[in-house]
Amino acid sequence: MFLINCPYCGERDQSEFSSGGEAHIVRPKQPKELSDDQWAEFLFMRKNIKGVQFERWNHAHGCRKWFNMARDTSNDKIHAVYKMGEKPPIK
Amino acid sequence: MLSYNSVVNDSIKYNDLTISVVESITKINLRGKKRDFITKIGKSISILLPTESNTSSNNEDLNLLWLSPDEWMLYENEKINSENDIYNLEDELFKEISKINYGSVTNITDHWVMINLKGQKVYELLSTSCPFDFKNFKQNKGSVVQTIFNHIDVIIHHKKSNDLNLFVRRSFCDHLLSWMRDAASRM
Repeated sequence: MFLINCPYCGERDQSEFSSGGEAHIVRPKQPKELSDDQWAEFLFMRKNIKGVQFERWNHAHGCRKWFNMARDTSNDKIHAVYKMGEKPPIK
Repeated sequence: MLSYNSVVNDSIKYNDLTISVVESITKINLRGKKRDFITKIGKSISILLPTESNTSSNNEDLNLLWLSPDEWMLYENEKINSENDIYNLEDELFKEISKINYGSVTNITDHWVMINLKGQKVYELLSTSCPFDFKNFKQNKGSVVQTIFNHIDVIIHHKKSNDLNLFVRRSFCDHLLSWMRDAASRM
């Protein structure tokens, strides 16, 4: 259990949120030109790193807005929370 | 409007806590981002849209709750009766907003049930199964929060001191009421 600072509602319990997986995955502009392997790479393959990971989260039981978060997967420390479309404030 | 018989017709009273279902109250969901939408709402119902998160605004008859940056819920103080027709307000807003594509107006009267919680022990009841920290909420009249209560989505509006309106989806209402009844009996 940890607290998440929703960019719209403020600090809330993690149980109000749902995780949407890795962030900043760009959809290929011409999907039809891709091979099955390249399409599968975009569609299914996700990083599962130990350390700071950029993720999408949804405040499902609050404002229902999506946002991005930089979270350390080893200790759940949240380094940054930023809105959709914004660039990560940390590298 | 649904013909709905509540499981709780009278108030449930405990020491310092009263739980009552308030039916039927007109509730309307408003969605929009355009500046014209915000001005139209203000002109139509004479209330400014609350743009600050977790807040509300009100006048004698209506309450307008902030739900998200582009979504609000409007509800009336008075119950619906033959003189105060549910569709008047909706029709008026629909003509002013939806019809000219400024935003959307949806009647959600039958979607949510309003439960009034009153008394010294309201926050004690909520703390039994709500992850939200009510410290600041308690101090600011008009605060609004969307959270979970006993794993059920709820909207809570701080109307007056120790007097809250809790909105729950109709299908969860019976379950939440019997759960609250049980929790309140142990306080």
